[in-house]
Amino acid sequence: MMRTETPAPAGTEEERAAKSPRRPAPSAPASRPAATARRRARRETLAGYLFLSPWCVGILLLTLGPMLVSLYLAFTDYNLFDSPRWVGLENFSEMFSDDRWWTSVRVTAVFVLVATPLKLAVALGVAMLLVRPRKGQGFYRSAFYAPSLIGASVSIGIVWRALFQDDAVVDRSLSLFGWDGGGWVGDPDWSLPTLIALSAWQFGAPMVIFLAGLKQVPRELYEAAEVDGAGAWRRFRSITLPMISPVLFFNLLLEIIHSFQIFTSALVIAGPGGRAGGPGDSLLVYTWYLYEQGFSNLRMGYASAMAWMLLAGIALVTAVLFWSQRRWVHYEEGGR
Amino acid sequence: MSSRRSRVAGLRAMGAGLAALGLLASGCGGGDAGADGKVTIRYSWWGAQDRADLINRTIDLFEKENPGIEVKTDFQEYGDFWTKFNTQAAGGNPPDVFQNSYAFLRKYGQKNLLLDLNPQVKAGNLNLDDFRQGLGRAGEIDGKLLGVPVGANTFTLVYDVKAFEEAGVTPERGWTWEDFDAAVEKISEPGEDFWGASSNGGVMYLYDLRLRQQGKAFFTEEGLGFTEADLRKWWGDHRAKLDDGLLVPAKQAAQVLPKSEVSAGLSAAEFTWDNFLARYVSETDRELALAPIPTMDGERTAQYLSSLMLSASARTEHPEEVAKFVDFMVNDPEVGKIMGYNRGVLPTNAQFEAYEPEGPDAKIAEYEKSVTDQLEPITPHPAGTDTVEAAFLSIYRSMAQGSVSVDEAVSQFFDEAKTALGS
Repeated sequence: MMRTETPAPAGTEEERAAKSPRRPAPSAPASRPAATARRRARRETLAGYLFLSPWCVGILLLTLGPMLVSLYLAFTDYNLFDSPRWVGLENFSEMFSDDRWWTSVRVTAVFVLVATPLKLAVALGVAMLLVRPRKGQGFYRSAFYAPSLIGASVSIGIVWRALFQDDAVVDRSLSLFGWDGGGWVGDPDWSLPTLIALSAWQFGAPMVIFLAGLKQVPRELYEAAEVDGAGAWRRFRSITLPMISPVLFFNLLLEIIHSFQIFTSALVIAGPGGRAGGPGDSLLVYTWYLYEQGFSNLRMGYASAMAWMLLAGIALVTAVLFWSQRRWVHYEEGGR
Repeated sequence: MSSRRSRVAGLRAMGAGLAALGLLASGCGGGDAGADGKVTIRYSWWGAQDRADLINRTIDLFEKENPGIEVKTDFQEYGDFWTKFNTQAAGGNPPDVFQNSYAFLRKYGQKNLLLDLNPQVKAGNLNLDDFRQGLGRAGEIDGKLLGVPVGANTFTLVYDVKAFEEAGVTPERGWTWEDFDAAVEKISEPGEDFWGASSNGGVMYLYDLRLRQQGKAFFTEEGLGFTEADLRKWWGDHRAKLDDGLLVPAKQAAQVLPKSEVSAGLSAAEFTWDNFLARYVSETDRELALAPIPTMDGERTAQYLSSLMLSASARTEHPEEVAKFVDFMVNDPEVGKIMGYNRGVLPTNAQFEAYEPEGPDAKIAEYEKSVTDQLEPITPHPAGTDTVEAAFLSIYRSMAQGSVSVDEAVSQFFDEAKTALGS
């Protein structure tokens, strides 16, 4: 696989390169320059691939390989220990009659549909506040971004759980205002909103991207609109939104794909003990059910089939988004 | 940039990548023959920090007496323990010796993950002679010794002494479910955050006893030992009691997890394993005691002895050392003194006699002594028991919360049980 070359030609070339780094020696025959350039290009390509090789090895062994294996396993009954047994489409048909699978689809759909727009709205709102030059701007930007840095970690899930537990900070603060609702995380009606709130709070990454997009909007447009008497909302609707729509599209795509894969925070917020899903399966997000089937119930075939269904679902949503973008995403001339 | 330098750098990058892979590969192999000729065995269990502290002290003792063996430890909470174990075992790298329970013996025995310890018993590395109440062979399945008990426990009713006194009820041997229900009704008072009993309709082991009292059982060797109509009755009764305000409502119960309802001061009575008393007592100021299981006929509780065990991995490279380790943990009197009843009443005479129980442990000892003559053979636990147990609890909770009806809950449970026991 690895190409070996004798060092001699490389050496001579290096001597030549040292004499005239940019162009081939003038004494060379007419056909030489092109050949040398080609060879050099080939070498640089090779070097490029070599630089890429750790990544390539990684993706082959750690991503592509396992993916292919899981595709095979999706059509088998496999308990991790005995060899897989081919069952055809059985795993896929089972999903449709599996109540908990439907629950997981529903919980995940609600999460995606509510958490994503909410998070983007918060991100855009904060970005618009931060885009104007003001005192301490740098501080505010970092402060609002900070939750996203630590966001995916388990520790923040634990903190969130501690905040929203029965008789904890949130519960006590609310009861000051006469709302004695008890803990949020243990209540099947309120655990999912808690998870959504956590996700919305981690708006740093899309916020930064929105900030960059907002800065690209030419000020003249606003000035002209103001002269024409457009109010703030009108300016937002007719200038800001269309101008940042490519950025909005990008953020939407990224966040939706991300939301589909929610796992850690649901797991941590639901807390220890019991089987997956939190109170009354209210936090049974798709990936968690998949994990439970694979690693607790030892049904790796079913779990693999579930994973491929998730991939198909995400692909479908992504395709719809791409299809819809011609209706609402405006690229500047030459942008596309 | 000269192309030579770039190529050299490229090769270096690739070399580094390969080296990293090599490290990865050798890291997975995990050779454990130490440089000083010491044998290392890996031991993992489930439990909390209190158990870990005790176990670590017993391991220090073992290592002192067996200088050639080093024990590496690892522990998780119950739920996480098995997912980690499954992952390690599937990767061919399970711990050499680990905590187990009767419920898992068939599941992992069928997959050939558990070492048959009988040859080690024959070789004299593991002594089973001193076990109490026939416990030595409790982990034997189809002639293979797949687990050795480190503690025995049996089912009980943990109750709030003061609440029962005020209601004028004394739970005693031979009392019936009618007596129990009457007590619960007396204790539950509308408008107060205190109920007569915990909502235990989803506890598989309680329903098992109830079925056994009627000549059935939760499991047969093949599958479930009861019908949908049976379960509709059981869960229907609980639904009615919940509606009447006699059992702790699901919402309140969920709030106090992982505490139990009785130790959180919500209920006066809770069915559970007797060795849980020590933990419950540490969580509350109320006086708790152990009562016998109510009966249907005034006599038979149908209870049995279960146990936490130690099992060895079939893949271990050091079966002899593992057997010695298990032998030490079940037979050494000092280990018994350290562990107490953390994992149940001590399994061997030597340990049982060496340990002087105090406080809750004394109550556990007294309770187990009082039911010794009532113990019957254990219900079979087929592969998939753990999944069924979790589903039984979770679906009951959904029903108790009111998100599904009793009928829906019953049919959902039978669906899931079929899948779990079929595979």
